[in-house]
Amino acid sequence: MRGGCMSKKIKFSRRKFMKFMAKSGLGAAALTSAPMLNHNFLYNSAFAASGKPLIFAAAEALTGNWDPTTHTNLGQLIFESYVFGYLTRCPMKPENPTQLNFELATEATEIDKFTLEFKLRDGVTFHNGKPFGAEDVKATYEYGSQPDRPAQWYPGQVDVEVVDRLTVRIKTEKYGYPAGLFYYLSSFLPILSADDVANPNNAASRPNGTGAFKFVEQDGDNTIMEANENFFMGKPKIPRVQYNFVGDTATRTLGLLSGEYNVTERLEPEQVDTIVANGGFALNQAVSTENKYLWFRCSKPPFNDINMRKAVAHAIDREGLLDILGISGTYTGCHVSPVKFGYTDVEGFPEYNPDKCQEYLAKAGFPKGKGLPELEYITSVGFYPKTKEYGEYITALLNEQGIPVKLSVLELGAWGNKLYDREGGGPGHMIDCGWCTGSPEPDLVIRTHFHSSSKRITGIVDADIDAALDKERNAPSVGEREQILKTEVMPLLVDKMPSVPLFGSVFIHAMANDVKDLYIYPNGMMSAETASIG
Amino acid sequence: MTLDDSSISKKIFYDSWQNNFFKFSVIFFIFICLLAFIYPEISEIKAEKMNIKSKFLPPIFFEGFSWTHILGTDQLGRDMLMRCLVGLRFSLIIGFASVFIMLLFGCLVGIISGFKSSWVDVIIMRITDAQLSIPMVILAISILGVSRPNLASIILVLALSGWPLYARVSRSMALIERDKEYVRGARILGANDFRIIFFLVVPIILPPIAFVSVLDIARMMIFEAILGFLGLGVQPPTPTFGNIIADARKYLINAWWIATMPGVFLVITLVTLNYIGSTLEKSKNKIFGEGI
Amino acid sequence: MHLAGQFVRRILQGVVVVLITTFLIFSILRIVPGDPVRLIVGGMAPDNLVEEIAQKMGLRDPIPVQFGRYLSQVVQGDLGNSYQRPKNGMMGQGGDFNANMDVEMAEVSDLILERLPYTLQLAGLALLISLIISFPLGISAGLKPKGFISKIAFFISSVFVSIPNFWLGIVLALFITIKLGLLPSIGYQNFAYTILPAIVLAVETCPFIIRTISVSFAEISQEYFIKSGKVRGLTRNGVIYRHTLRNASIPLLNLLGIQLSTLLGGVIVVEYIFDYPGLGQLTIYAVLQRDFPLIQGIAMVTSALYVGLNIAVDLITYSIDPRLES
Repeated sequence: MRGGCMSKKIKFSRRKFMKFMAKSGLGAAALTSAPMLNHNFLYNSAFAASGKPLIFAAAEALTGNWDPTTHTNLGQLIFESYVFGYLTRCPMKPENPTQLNFELATEATEIDKFTLEFKLRDGVTFHNGKPFGAEDVKATYEYGSQPDRPAQWYPGQVDVEVVDRLTVRIKTEKYGYPAGLFYYLSSFLPILSADDVANPNNAASRPNGTGAFKFVEQDGDNTIMEANENFFMGKPKIPRVQYNFVGDTATRTLGLLSGEYNVTERLEPEQVDTIVANGGFALNQAVSTENKYLWFRCSKPPFNDINMRKAVAHAIDREGLLDILGISGTYTGCHVSPVKFGYTDVEGFPEYNPDKCQEYLAKAGFPKGKGLPELEYITSVGFYPKTKEYGEYITALLNEQGIPVKLSVLELGAWGNKLYDREGGGPGHMIDCGWCTGSPEPDLVIRTHFHSSSKRITGIVDADIDAALDKERNAPSVGEREQILKTEVMPLLVDKMPSVPLFGSVFIHAMANDVKDLYIYPNGMMSAETASIG
Repeated sequence: MTLDDSSISKKIFYDSWQNNFFKFSVIFFIFICLLAFIYPEISEIKAEKMNIKSKFLPPIFFEGFSWTHILGTDQLGRDMLMRCLVGLRFSLIIGFASVFIMLLFGCLVGIISGFKSSWVDVIIMRITDAQLSIPMVILAISILGVSRPNLASIILVLALSGWPLYARVSRSMALIERDKEYVRGARILGANDFRIIFFLVVPIILPPIAFVSVLDIARMMIFEAILGFLGLGVQPPTPTFGNIIADARKYLINAWWIATMPGVFLVITLVTLNYIGSTLEKSKNKIFGEGI
Repeated sequence: MHLAGQFVRRILQGVVVVLITTFLIFSILRIVPGDPVRLIVGGMAPDNLVEEIAQKMGLRDPIPVQFGRYLSQVVQGDLGNSYQRPKNGMMGQGGDFNANMDVEMAEVSDLILERLPYTLQLAGLALLISLIISFPLGISAGLKPKGFISKIAFFISSVFVSIPNFWLGIVLALFITIKLGLLPSIGYQNFAYTILPAIVLAVETCPFIIRTISVSFAEISQEYFIKSGKVRGLTRNGVIYRHTLRNASIPLLNLLGIQLSTLLGGVIVVEYIFDYPGLGQLTIYAVLQRDFPLIQGIAMVTSALYVGLNIAVDLITYSIDPRLES
């Protein structure tokens, strides 16, 4: 278990941190209600590993570009959680969802509203042998927060002041938003070496982090890592980790059952039944930071009309979707997942109601759907559970209301290339996608997608939404921020409906019983530095 | 051996008809076709009707079955019998249409090639060589994988991948016919190539090849299922054997019938069709000689 | 002397065929919709950048110009570099934005050569299995066309030819690998992983081989020299092995030449189902990712294999029986 281990070894300024939390109101109250399921996979193992490799059958292929600022690929985030180091890590455990463990940082202090200071760990080296220090944090944060970086995880640009070799100050005043946002973000931003930032081609061509595992080579669809002997917490027990891309859910399950893989992800209810019936495997189910959405292309007709978006929202039977998903899905009442900061069940969330749907269709000028062109609804297969099943269901529901929808089921790569907004609106009219980040920070979703400066998938430009998002980001205290999120931003988003939140994802990982102490975060990232097999 | 066309067809069919299994197969096949094309239209249960609450119902006589859905329901509560029948309908349409096109096109090209033993012949034969040297699946997925497939494009791709064999066979037959008395006679009487090909040669060459092509219908139906399985077939919500089985693959352990039933339907249909085809082929060989 | 001339002529013809194949695939890829550049630079890239890179890569030139350029590379032994797979072997997957990516891409020839042995192993084993099944059935059926074995052979052929390979693959993986735990089959660790996929392929090819063997045995055993063999007092078995087998090998060899492309087609589906790291799996992903140089390379190599094998078959046929000049 990461927390226990860390607190023994290092100076863990938990007290100070809790003080900040209490002061800010970002206490457990915000998140204790988050439904999390069993965590019985966590054991403490007293013995060193037998030396078997950990083979992880992953649902998503890596991008081919190792620079963490160039992608939003969840598979690669998981890979990065092995290879890279982070200032902090946030396990988001149900009993203490806001607990932050220090990794490359040892202490965080809020100097003022726009300045956050991190003390850094001494004696850490990158995989290429270069020592880690303040310059690397500065380089990483300033590079990653550039508006042209595709990943766009940062709330805005940031300046980093190097106080000394092991102290940095995150400064946001120039850009007009509070530095406190970086508390949680610090657990999500992998730290690159300053050399790699200076030479992004190096960063792209091979990963160089401070994590417990070193990248060795790419062998076909398998990414091979080995234990980092110089890892600051000591060499991991598992000598080798393999990230194997297996694009087919059934193959992943069959491979796990037949012992090819130790761990696999993104399982579906029926496969879970099979694995349980088979015995010998531990399951890890947790409500994730991911909501699944039906995104509208809001910058082009017909979904530039809010009435059309509402008509579709009222045509979707979300209870039926949950029936299809079984244990893979959970109810969500707003545009962020139930485990995120600022989550609330928005009152008057549009539920399935054919009459209202017709009403909005008429308002949009397409009574009973007459006059609408054929709308393309794009979805993917192989990665997210049941996309095709509920895609067919939603298509049928919309067709029932007279909205002519054609479902395009694409292979993951093809879907990924159609995902994002472009000039003139992205491809198709609606697209299915989830958004999953390794931090409770809600702006990683709502600002990324609905603010006109980013508008990743929807392409929405709406002054009201911009104003609300800015107000929430610039809130003087975390408590007020939470209030604004719950009473203003989330209801506004539901009202404008740039995407329909369909359900919250429940991540189901399965692993062989002999895998011990592998921690899986609610976004699927992993910690294996103390894990063992056998 | 100058048989006139109608007698060849009749003879081949008559010879096969002596076989009781053949009779049974033909009748059974017609029955399957009628079922696939008519029953989904008149039944109250619709293939695309979803009922989430009654998903994963097993076929009759298995625990928890319902009489309304004798073959059970799928992951979205749709009736498996209807989906299989509609899938079969598309499978049959694609199988027959693609073979029809490849037969016509292939034979036409082959006969012309055989008659014009010149550079046309050389080019056409090298093209068929080239195409035969690429596995059909590579060709088909290259075309369908990069564009959105629909019924017409699938039929065309299947026809495209199958025509070279027909061109080859009909060419070798045309080479034989070309030097026969009746062709020479017609030429002396002043008939041009066009007339000779279409009115004299095609009626002789086409029927025996057409009988053998029954086997190709079965092949194309499997091929269509493969494309559907790879996600390159007719798109949902239209059910096809390939996409039903591909979708149901992950439910195989828990709800075996969803992937099994279409498989059984397809195999039964294909065994029938293959039996018809092989018997016709045997009769053809007996009457017309080997060589196709 | 005559053999050598024949050989040269066939090789030249073969080269022409491979060229036509390559041109066909090359043109098809460029005519059908689907822009590879979009996949290279990723979904977040703006349209004008896509256009710019496409022009830089020469993808907007007329097809013959592009083909000429490609051929001049191929002549120098360079099949080009993959659009999607960097040298480190990763299966890149578009989705984001890789415009600044300056990673060296894997050479198509390396990618193919890496996978080819796996596929040859699979195809070879499949062929072996289907020959083992087909020979006894085919010979018995051929010698006694009205016998019981002949009916069994006909029945087995009809059923085998009617079973879709992907369906059989799934069912076998479920029962043999998962339920019974007899043979591993998902992925590839050692030779055992080849067996189940090979069985599926063998089922697909068996009917054709059984048929060819039975037909040629039926024909040849009716021919006069066998009757005369009996007159000369040779035993039935002796006759079969001396004459028939040798003569039957000619249509069989021809069939193998033609079946190669069916076999390779089956390989694609079977490798996909069993996650077997061969050429077939590479092909599927190459197509889905619109990795043009890779698809072209694979098509050219398979076509060359096919043509080469058929030339070899012709030459062997010719040396067995010089009367059969094709």
